[in-house]
This record gives sequence, C-alpha cells and structure tokens, in this order.
Amino acid sequence: MGQYGVLVDVTKCIGCRGCQTACKNWNDLPAVKTTFTADWTNPPEMNFNNITLVGFHTIEKDDKVQWRAAKVQCFHCLEPTCFEVCFVHAYNKTPEGAVVYANPEICVGCRYCQLACPFHNIQMKWDEVFSRVRKCSFCYNRLVEGLKPACVTTCPTGALKFGKRDELLQEAKERINSNPDKYFNHIYGEKEAGGTSWLYISDVPFEDLGFNTDVFQKSIPKYTWKYMKKAPILAVSLPIFFAALYAYTKRRAENEGHGH
Amino acid sequence: MTNHFIDYQHSDVWLCIGANPAENHPMAFRWITKGKEKGGKLIVADPRFTKSAAMADLYAPHRPGTDIPFLLGIMNYAIQNNLYHREYVVNYTNASYIVHPEFGFEDGLFSGFGDGGYDKASWAYTGEKDPTLEHPQCVFQLLKRHTARYDKRTVSQICGTPEDLYEEICKLYAGTGEPGKAGNIIYAMGITQHTYGSQNVRSIAMLQLLLGNIGIPGGGVNAQRGESNVQGSTDMCMLYHLLPGYNPMPNANTHPTWADYREKATPAAGYWVNRPKFVVSMLKAWYGEHATAENDFCYDYIPKIYGDHSHMAMFKAMAEGKVKGFFAWGQNPVVGGPAAIQSRKAMENLDWMVCIDLFEIETAAFWKAPDADPTKIGTEVFFLPTGCSYEKEGTVSNSGRWIQWRWKAIDPPGEAHSDLWIADRLFKAIRKGYQQGGVFPDPIVKMTWDYGDDHYDIVKVAVECNGFTVADGEPVLNFTKLADDGSTACGNWLFSGYYNDLNDPPCKRRDTVDTSGLGMYHNWSFCWPVNRRIIYNRCATRPNGQPWNPEKALFRWTGTEWIKNDVPDFNANVPPEETANNPFIMLPEGQGRFFASGMAEGPFPEHYEPIETPFKNIMSKQQHNPCAKLYADNFAPVGSEEYPYVCTTHRLIEHYQSGALTRNQPYLVELMPEMFVMISKTLAEKLHLKSYDWVVVSTPRGEIKAKLGVTPLIKPLMVHSKLTEVVCMPWHWGFQGLGRGAIANDLTPAAGDANTSIPEYKAFLCNIRKA
Repeated sequence: MGQYGVLVDVTKCIGCRGCQTACKNWNDLPAVKTTFTADWTNPPEMNFNNITLVGFHTIEKDDKVQWRAAKVQCFHCLEPTCFEVCFVHAYNKTPEGAVVYANPEICVGCRYCQLACPFHNIQMKWDEVFSRVRKCSFCYNRLVEGLKPACVTTCPTGALKFGKRDELLQEAKERINSNPDKYFNHIYGEKEAGGTSWLYISDVPFEDLGFNTDVFQKSIPKYTWKYMKKAPILAVSLPIFFAALYAYTKRRAENEGHGH
Repeated sequence: MTNHFIDYQHSDVWLCIGANPAENHPMAFRWITKGKEKGGKLIVADPRFTKSAAMADLYAPHRPGTDIPFLLGIMNYAIQNNLYHREYVVNYTNASYIVHPEFGFEDGLFSGFGDGGYDKASWAYTGEKDPTLEHPQCVFQLLKRHTARYDKRTVSQICGTPEDLYEEICKLYAGTGEPGKAGNIIYAMGITQHTYGSQNVRSIAMLQLLLGNIGIPGGGVNAQRGESNVQGSTDMCMLYHLLPGYNPMPNANTHPTWADYREKATPAAGYWVNRPKFVVSMLKAWYGEHATAENDFCYDYIPKIYGDHSHMAMFKAMAEGKVKGFFAWGQNPVVGGPAAIQSRKAMENLDWMVCIDLFEIETAAFWKAPDADPTKIGTEVFFLPTGCSYEKEGTVSNSGRWIQWRWKAIDPPGEAHSDLWIADRLFKAIRKGYQQGGVFPDPIVKMTWDYGDDHYDIVKVAVECNGFTVADGEPVLNFTKLADDGSTACGNWLFSGYYNDLNDPPCKRRDTVDTSGLGMYHNWSFCWPVNRRIIYNRCATRPNGQPWNPEKALFRWTGTEWIKNDVPDFNANVPPEETANNPFIMLPEGQGRFFASGMAEGPFPEHYEPIETPFKNIMSKQQHNPCAKLYADNFAPVGSEEYPYVCTTHRLIEHYQSGALTRNQPYLVELMPEMFVMISKTLAEKLHLKSYDWVVVSTPRGEIKAKLGVTPLIKPLMVHSKLTEVVCMPWHWGFQGLGRGAIANDLTPAAGDANTSIPEYKAFLCNIRKA
C-alpha cells in the first residue's frame, strides 16, 4: 500500500480559508483572539490552536502584482525528524503516511521535535511550562475511517487533492509539463527533507510564499541523527531553561499589569 | 441567473464585473476552476485587485461607477470589428425593429425628457423590421451610433483602465461572438448598487445578446445573489412593488379594481398573457372559498401601493414621523442600509419595533448605539429570537433558481423558534384581535390560514405555494395547469411544480445522475420555471434547430423531432421554424431587447457619473442619471475638494452581510476580527499613513474610525489624466456581537437607482485622515 499525500495547487487556491476553519472544527480547537492584519493572514502565525494556516502573499514585480494564498501545516515527512529525535517515542509514522503525535502521555515536553522540524510546523503552548506539542495529524482519525482530511473535504476549488503520494507526484509533474509557462518548475515536497507527503506546485517561486527553500533535499535524520542522539543534555536542559525564563517573564508581566 | 453555477464550466470566457466570486461565491469558483482546466479564460474588471483578479488571465482596474462605458465599449469593439453574432442578433433580438422617427438622443438625454422624467411616446416600435439591419432608424443602427461614442480612448479616460489592456479585454471577450463560443458575464452588487444599476445590468444583457451568449450552455447573464436565499425571497416578493412570482403589486392609482389590474398589468402578447391565471390562483390560495368571480376573488382585500415605499423612502417617512411601527425581520438596516446614522436617528421616532433575528443585532439595539441617547428614546423594542437555516425546515433558492429543500439539523436554542412558527402565531393573534372587530377586518379574518392548530405543517405551506386543484386539493403538475376561474389555487406560480408530488417532491430530490451530459442534474432539486436549467434556451440552437456548438448541444432537431437535454423554453412539439422568431417568450415581441422602453432613464444605457464623483461627465452635459431617486441632500459636490477620494464598499468571505451571524462566530471573528479600510501605497505616502494606524473616514453623512491597511492590491487610476485614489472598505461590522467595529454604511449616500431604488453603495466620495 502506498502512502497517502495531498497535492496543493497554489494556482487553484482562492484563499477562502475553509481549510483553516475546517481544521479547527474537526479538531475542536478554540478560537484565539486576533486583531486586524493588513495582509489578511490571521492569526499572523501558526500557533497551538491553529495548526493549519493560510498565508496571503502579495508579490510585486515590474509594476505587476500577484496575490497568492498558500496553506501550511505539518508536511508529513517521509522520514520525519520529529519522529527520529523523540527519545521517548511519542511520535508515530503510520503506514498511511501520517506523522502522528500518538503518545502524548509519555511526552516529556522537551520541545526537541519543534526545534528539529525543518519547516517549523510543530506548535506548542508557550504559556504552559510542560506543554505537549500539537501538529497536523493528517486527520489520521479520519483516514482510518476512509475519510479524507477535513481540510481537503472542505476545499471548494480542488486546490487540495488527496490521494496516493506517488500518483499525486506523477500528476504534479503532468500538470507542470502540460503547462510549463504557467507553473514554476518545482514540486515542493518531492525532495525537501527527503520528501514529504504534502506536495505543492505553484506559479510563483516558493520563496515568495514564505516557504523554506533552503531545506535539505535529503532526509534530515540521515544527516543529523548521529549528532542529535548525543545531545540528551541539551534536550533536557534547554526546555527547562526556557520554562524558567518563561515563568520569570510571565510573573514580571503580571506584576507590571497590577500597576495599571 | 439565466444559467446556473455548474454550467459555468462550459464557458470559453468569463467576464466578472462587479462581482468577486473567489471571495463571495467560492462554490461558483469551483466551476470556473474546472472550466479554466479546459482552457477557459477569466477576465476580471474591478477597482481593486481582488481574490478573483488574482485568479484572472486578464485583470482590468476600472473606477467605481463606470461599468456602462466599460461594457458599451466592448459592444462598440464587437460591432466595429464585425465580431458580433450576426445570425443570433438578426433572428433572436429586436435589432431589426424600426423605431419611431422622432426617437433621438442628444447631449445625454433621450427624446421626451421633461419634468425629471420621460414621455416615452417616441420610444415605440413602428411595427416595421429591416432584417438587413441597415435602416438608419432600426435598433441595430441606433445601437451602433450610440455605442460608437464609447471608443477605447473615451472608455479609458472615464474608467481609468489602460487603453491597450482594455483593447485586449475587448478582443478576448468579443471573441465569444463567434458562433459556438460561450461567454459568461458574472456580476453582483458591484453592478447593481448604483443610481444607474439597472442600466448596468441592461448593458450586460445587451452585450450578451450581441455576442449570442444568452440561452446557451456556458453563457448567460449571471447575477450572483448576495445571500444564499435572496433569490427565493425576491421570488416570494420581498420587494414592495411585487406580488409573488414577479406580478406587479396593485397600485391605488392605476389598478384600483381587478378589471384595471387585469387589463393594465397584462400585456397583449408573450407568456405574461397568463398573468390573470397566476394572480387569480394566488388570491384563491389566500382567500379560499371567500374568493369568487363575483367579488373579483377578493382583489379588493389586497393593499394598494400609492408611491415609493422602498427602503430609503420608508426610512425617510420614519424620519418624518409618518411610520410608527416597524418589523425588522431577518434584516439589519442599521448596518446594511445606506446613510445609517440618519436611519438610526429616524428609528428614534418609532413607537414600537419588532426585531426577529438570531442575535440582538444592531437594529434591535439601535437605542444603545454609540451615538444614541437611550434616555431620549421612547421606542418599545420587542426581540423575538429565531432559528438559523440549520434549525428549521424549508427551501432555499440559489442564484441559479434551484429551489432546494433543507431539513432541520437541530432545534433552535432556548426560546428561539423558526420564522414560520413566529409568523403562524403572529397571524393567529392578529386574526383573534380582528375577530373582535376593527376598521376593515375582512382581509385578515377571511384569509385562509389552515396550516395546523398548535403546530404548523410546513408541507401544507409548500403545497399551497406549489398550487392545487380547489376541488380535490391535489397538487397541480405545474403552472400550465393554473386557471383564472377560481378552480385552482397557487401561492406562487413560479414555484409551481416544486412540490407537485407528495411522495417525491422535486425540491427534495438529490439524484446525482446527470442524463443531460451537460451538468444539468434535472433530478437534483427543482429549478424554476418548470425545472428549466437554462432559460431562453431556444437560442441554444440555430433557427433551423441545429446547435451552435455540437459538443454542448442542449437541443437538436433531427428533422422529425427535438433531442432534448433541458426542459425546452419553446414548443418542442413543432418544427424549429415555428419557434425561431420567438425565443424570449416572456416578452410581447418574443425577441431580446437591445432597445428597452420599459426603463426609466432611457431605452439604451448611457454613462452618467455617480451622485458623488470627482469628475464632470465627459459624455454629455447631463452629469447624473436624470431620473435617479434622491432621498437626501447631503451629497458632496462634483469634484469636491473636501472629499477628494472615491470610496467603495465590499464584502469578505468570512462575514455574511451585516455580520449578524458571522460576527458571533468565534472562528470567523478570529479570521477577520476588526473593521478596516484599505488604501494604496501612494495615498498612504501622500497622507503619511501606515498600516495599523487608526484613521477617520468621512463623508457628508458622517465619520467612522477604523484601522488602516496599506496594500499593493489597490492602485490609483489614471482618470481624465488625473491620478484617482480609491478607498475600499468592507461593510460587515457594527457595535453588537463578538467582533465589533464601525459601520461602513454610516458613510454611504441615500441615492437610489431610477428603476429599483437600490442605494448607491458602490461609488461615493470620502476623505481620510489619521485619527
């Protein structure tokens, strides 16, 4: 059985953000307080309660403007670094292709996975000292029931297409080849970090969509694990340091708050 | 819409003007996306670079309020370059009709003008035709002369659209005039909400006739409605001048008696000759056994209008103290109506108001608006909580005229009830009152109201709308079975057929099998009229019955019979020759109108400037629509220095209308939390403003405060060699609910279209400064 994937065709995304809302709905995540953002991306960045986020990008070139929307979430690496670096095995890479934070009860909250994610797509609750992580699960609880991810189900235009990754990769190549003038010749996720289940094609360069294009083209665990596994002291001490720092600044902020 | 959303996939070119489907009709965009995969080209014309513009093959900016020059210029291009669909124009339109010799047009006015209105005697046909289209007084030549004034240079000067870009658009869109090609014009409130909004729509219809784009798959005049069921509510006569099914509301002056109505409201030819059957059946549904031929079927019980009772007229009357009580039922005029500050003030004169809504909306809370003084307001306000569409059963009619039954998912919370429950209780209470006596109790006491005692039966309401035979109460098949002798009853002839089978009502059908091969899905819901998915579809074939495009053949004449992929809008029992000159069956002349004498301000559209504009009208000395309806006098003068910027309002996908529903939805408030105003980088630079500054936007009606967004998506336009800035703002916010913000309509003018009175929300003047 081949792994599942999603092909995101940025040229078909109208920025309706149905996916962003569907994700919160299915995962029962609370709304967060926001304020107006001039580019309409809201919240401005992914957070613990927004694990998929549509970013709006205006691209100005030669007096012409383009406006693109691109959804970002965990890309579900074929060889996930988060999974590799987790020394308590809180993560699972399922045969379906989903990278799932499956065992939160054994997670020690070290945040190492978050630091290791080449795409910065793992979220934590920063106002809790020993918070668990949260990330897109590829709607694994839907996949096992034969349903598509909530975001894909809600997409009105077909910008998100769910299927077998190898077939989607083929389709992505065909779309680019049959329309070389339109598409930028790059399938993001084909090789990034050794390949991801989510694949993106676009008519603008991925840098312009805020994507990390410096990411290794090879599986990161292959490069890094020999270093990372030798760093348990860092893994344990860093989060304690951050937690202490957080507790300190929070108390200070609260004390200041009382003064007003 | 003449067509429907799924049919969008068949277009070769879409022209979105005054519409932003990627933002406001995302499901429509599903079909545009599908069509683009097949090579379709999308043109978007909009003052802003919208989400739809971002998806377009060609985007043209144009100044708010300049749609007529934009559209007439394309017509001119098509005529001058011989790209129009001549066979269609000759056979299916009134292009060959010869007009009265005294008809003329001079300096912005058509013949017959005087006293703020037109004597239309010279706007008549002579009865002769010239199929060569050469006669100087034939409609085609008149049209040609009229549109020739809209050359690309003139259009570019008025609209601010670069000339070469405009020509590219003309070329691409006029290309759909080739037989077999389909061009689709998609519009919405950007077209209608002007003092000449109806003429904007006319321009679209005329361009589509010229290019042979009406009645064909992938073509059409496609109004995307502003609410999921606004089509249904207009069908059911939401507007004051209509009875259900677009029959005119009786007028005290012209239709005091049934005989007058029957005579004056019934044309001599066309399908509306059946109007008496529809209206008698409606009266029979309302008054049952009391409605007899002898008493004119209780026609006298129907209230008669005696003037302008449109939204702005009503609020003006309220301001003058003439209106004492007000029901705001599922509408939020304090946020959604124009000149909202003045409207709120007017409401203070009310003795009582009933607001029926999901939440305590701004209208219900008008007395505690930030600018109100509750201690000085004596209005008694009643608030009745109702259920949202998922909390009640009934139908929703979409823009494509599909009447779809919806079942209730959950009960409304707390004391909230469905609107029908409220209407039922309300009527019964009022009737009880009138049973004790009154000035004129009969219209209420004798009304048929038999939907159940304690709990209404919605199926009974549906069957009444569908129509039934009085003798046995059996639903009628459709409106062709209605009679004007009292033997049938029907609440809305247009809906007739949607509930004609109690066991399998068409509006409840959900069959995804498409036998047409063209995405018509005739067994998914019911489409008025008579389940016809594309109206005026006689035009889908040549006069000889052969399809213009064999690959998208809606019909085909085999020589002995018609092959049908839709419900024909013509007599399909006769050979094509017999129906070839009568494709527009609702019109007395049976042919599409380039020249339409029914319009208030002229048989052809003509460019006038919005009521508020920085510019003099360069087309004529007639500055504004001479027949525009003005309900106030607080307008900025032409070229105002105090209010130098063009302002327009728009919507966002995250919020619905006045935001009553969506601004109470945490997820949607998270996505779009606050009221804001967007301007170009150049204007921001000039005024030393930056994103997130609080700014004050002002018009002669008032001021609002909002956050500023500076964006490359808005650029100044070069209009008459002058750089013109456009200020854009959404209108979804108000002072109630979870997400709050200033009301954009505090700024909009109380000026209305000459035919429909729709307010000019989309083009006015403002100033902007740092708060």
